[in-house]
Amino acid sequence: MLNDLRFAFRLLLKNPAFTTVAVVAIALGIGANTAVLSLVNALLIRPLPYRAPARIVLMLEHFRAQHLDAIPVSAPEFVDYQTNCRSFDEMAVFQPGTFNFAGGDRPERIFGAVGSADLFNVLGVAPIRGRVFEPADCTAGHDDVLIISERLWRHRFNTDPQIIGSKIVANGRGFTIVGVMPASFEFPIPLFGIQGAQFGERADVWQPLAFTAQELKIRYSRGYAIIARLAQGASAKQTQAELDTVTAAMRRNYPDNYPKDDSFGITAFPLNEVVLGPMKPLLLILLAAVFLVLLIACANLTTMMLARAASREREMGIRVALGAGRWRLLRQVLLESVFLSLCGGIAGVLLGVWGLDLLKRIGTQTVPRLSEVNLDWHVLIATFVIAVGTGIVFGLVPGLVSGDPNLTETLKEGGRGLSSGARRNRLRQALVIAEVALALVLLASAGLLIKSFVQLQNVDAGFNPRNVLTMEISLPALTYTDNASQARFYNEAQKRIASIPGIKNAGFTNILPMSGTNSDSSFNIEGRTSDDKNPSPDEEFRRISPGFFEAMEISLLRGRPFRESDNADAPPVTIINAALAKRYWPNEDAIGKRISIGASAAKEKWATIIGIVGNVRHRGLDYDPLPEYYMPITQTPNNQAVLVVRSSQEAGGLISAIRTALHEIDPAQPIAHVRTLEQVVADSVAPRRLSIWLLGLFAAIALSLASIGIYGVMSFLVVQRTHELGVRMALGAQRRDILRLVVGHAAKLILAGTIIGLVFAFAFTRLLAAMLYHVSPHDLTTFGLVTVVLGAIALIASYIPTSRVIRADPMLALAHIA
Amino acid sequence: MIRLHNIERSYPLGRGQMFYVLRDIDLDIAAGDFVSVMGPSGAGKSTLLHILGMHDHGWTGEYFFDETAVHHLKSKERATLRNAQVGFVFQQYHLLDDLTVYENLDIPLSYRHYSKSERAALVADALDRFQIVGKKDLYPRQLSGGQQQLVGVARAIIASPKVLLADEPTGNLHSSQGEEIMELFRKLNEEGMTIVQVTHSEKNASYGKRIVQLRDGWIV
Ligand SMILES: Nc1ncnc2c1ncn2[C@@H]1O[C@H](COP(=O)(O)OP(=O)(O)OP(=O)(O)O)[C@@H](O)[C@H]1O
Ligand SMILES: [Mg+2]
Repeated sequence: MLNDLRFAFRLLLKNPAFTTVAVVAIALGIGANTAVLSLVNALLIRPLPYRAPARIVLMLEHFRAQHLDAIPVSAPEFVDYQTNCRSFDEMAVFQPGTFNFAGGDRPERIFGAVGSADLFNVLGVAPIRGRVFEPADCTAGHDDVLIISERLWRHRFNTDPQIIGSKIVANGRGFTIVGVMPASFEFPIPLFGIQGAQFGERADVWQPLAFTAQELKIRYSRGYAIIARLAQGASAKQTQAELDTVTAAMRRNYPDNYPKDDSFGITAFPLNEVVLGPMKPLLLILLAAVFLVLLIACANLTTMMLARAASREREMGIRVALGAGRWRLLRQVLLESVFLSLCGGIAGVLLGVWGLDLLKRIGTQTVPRLSEVNLDWHVLIATFVIAVGTGIVFGLVPGLVSGDPNLTETLKEGGRGLSSGARRNRLRQALVIAEVALALVLLASAGLLIKSFVQLQNVDAGFNPRNVLTMEISLPALTYTDNASQARFYNEAQKRIASIPGIKNAGFTNILPMSGTNSDSSFNIEGRTSDDKNPSPDEEFRRISPGFFEAMEISLLRGRPFRESDNADAPPVTIINAALAKRYWPNEDAIGKRISIGASAAKEKWATIIGIVGNVRHRGLDYDPLPEYYMPITQTPNNQAVLVVRSSQEAGGLISAIRTALHEIDPAQPIAHVRTLEQVVADSVAPRRLSIWLLGLFAAIALSLASIGIYGVMSFLVVQRTHELGVRMALGAQRRDILRLVVGHAAKLILAGTIIGLVFAFAFTRLLAAMLYHVSPHDLTTFGLVTVVLGAIALIASYIPTSRVIRADPMLALAHIA
Repeated sequence: MIRLHNIERSYPLGRGQMFYVLRDIDLDIAAGDFVSVMGPSGAGKSTLLHILGMHDHGWTGEYFFDETAVHHLKSKERATLRNAQVGFVFQQYHLLDDLTVYENLDIPLSYRHYSKSERAALVADALDRFQIVGKKDLYPRQLSGGQQQLVGVARAIIASPKVLLADEPTGNLHSSQGEEIMELFRKLNEEGMTIVQVTHSEKNASYGKRIVQLRDGWIV
């Protein structure tokens, strides 16, 4: 065994070119697998960082009649669920929150969450310092305690061992820090696709939630997501039944607030699915893609090992003649191939680690939990198994072939015309066909994704993202206690910033397009009644300041924009977008019509529609625009806002001027999350871009591996046929005859591979459908293009070795064997 | 028909040294001639024949085929000339292993302008003439050395070349079979085919009209 290993090692050293090509091919195949396995491991397999996460559910309500499928709950609704449900061990609500930390060099806005008493019990994670929430914290006036993350503890407090009990000022209020959560703890995790419950950044602060008496009365103001731990043994069905009973009771007890039919309800979504679900299709596709890459690498290696087996046929023949058994020879070859594969595997792991690093740099901001991806021993073991398996797969056939040399043929001097040769050539040809087919599947997939992406880049977002800077501001409720003070801040800031030289326009919005946030609100239309059959409309709703449309370059189609004079004392006004106008006033002019928001019909405040603006693709380039309506932020105040600034050139240099302007209004007011609007748009398609990067990369690897494979096999076949080709030339074949013969042969293989590949690609790309944008999974141009590209590259790969033979004299070719 | 002047062929020996296989060859072969080239092993007979057959291009000197200066031709033009004029019997037969006897005979025709039916007729003729009809579907490895040589000869003349170059065409044949081949050559020669054969046998040489002796690359 050791001798065999030594011999294998010597052979590999003796053929550095062979060894290098082989190791590189394996490294590419295994590296891709290591990277994707790490992703799958971290994002799908590794449990969420909570105790028994399978039993944690996220609960969201729905109003089906208004197409609201997953919306938060209100405070009184939560109390109802909590008091009436037996299927849960614990239940808590939470809401994203921002905390303006004063002190230090500069005020800092830190992202966090507000949660009710049982939040940490639901999650089942203990703090590393201090304590978690207690019921007493969640009463009015006692909610001035904070739990912070290990990260924040390190960054802002230098890992101060005396941190528990220390006082800080946030949002203009004094707090005591009572706990530090471990580094692995993360909550909330970005939950994509749930309206009103989107969290873009990592949370570093948690504050206990104390409902106000006022809040506990208002059923329609929904801003909380429920997180709960299912009781041991509670079945999903039984839980849902219990929730249905509770919602039925709500409908009975508060008929004003709910439709009479069951279009209102609440669903408990397993947290695992909410977080992992959206990633699953992409990851499975990537897994399939890297598996294909590995198969191609295996095919390559098999052909290389076969070629070597051919050149060692005499050696093997002599070994057998000297008494080596078939198993010994097989073992010899397998030892070599597994050893090679392990070398490739090590290089592959390094490649994979490097790739992951790159991946994180591209996508951490935008793909949930990407930062947690790393190479742990699970992945290492899987990679080791894959490497050994790969080695066995590509060593097996050459090993069996080597163990079965045709003695009379190989040992005969100058033995030609091996009958086993034809059989092996068929195998080589089958491998070429397979490589072409596999590469085509990957190329077609990558091609479709790239085409989707190109389509997306050409989509009109409804605004112009060039030279626009965005940043977030939240006005602490303690400092800005009333609507008037908030309005004053917005007005003042808007005017000051807009007058900075180089800045063309500035405006505020509470909800920035493509930022992952959203809000909607129901409204009534004057003169139209609503009942259960026709519930009052509910559409996307934004509060903006004057200057916003100009800063975004959202086109004003009709009427006028908001002005500073549209203040709290002036008559309420609203601006709708074209989609909303079309939905509710398809055949009449919407300008001048009046709508109202707020539930109680008695105190309705009618807002007049004064303008119609163009549609905006709010959720992302790949979503169709929805109806939207806007109201002045000064008439319907909001303490969270995004400042949008359009400059005449690159906006980056203006940040400090903007900071100064804001500082002059309120020195304690920080700005956060400064991004260009182009970045916001790019981030909104980040998961898509990530998948394109990955699939494109794998397709490129597949293409190069396949062409190397084709080149190798064709070289081998041509060398093998040199004598034949020489004879043919001596007998009158012209160059083009030879070219036609050899490349024609290759073309047949490539054609067969292409046809098989197209069939598989047709099936495979259907899995991609959800990731495509305005491109059919069977898009003809893409399929045509990748087929032509692959065919051309494959033909070139087979032409090169052929052209080398035909340039030579027939004499040389004849001498080759004579 | 063929005129060689000062033909030299050498192989590098390494370190700038050259090994001369052919030296200063002057040779005139008239149309309708039947020349036997003789000489000890290694004298350069095969080399000479491959030069005449335009397989080898690594020589210097002048080679006129009819009025054409072969030494000025590009390799593609030589190939065209060769196709039109020359048939070749290889010392090592050079039959294609993966093709049957029938297919081997068909190769030269497939690279010239023959119709399908002409090709079939010519191959059938050749199979008949060499009495190998029964072997037509066999592969070369299923034939004896002598039978392979027969196929090689048949293949060389199947496209009716003006010049036949034969490198020891009877080396592996039974003497009576050898005689048949020689008789065939004589007949072809009488019909106007120019023949150059390499042979070790005085008897075979006697079928020819004259003998060229090669020794260590020189004509003697
Ligand atoms: N590719 C080559 N490189 C170096 N020397 C060569 C090469 N081919 C042939 N020779 C040499 O040229 C000489 C003549 O070879 P050639 O085959 O012409 O001999 P021959 O007269 O046909 O002999 P035989 O009767 O054995 O067939 C030999 O000494 C041979 O070693
Ligand atoms: Mg010879």
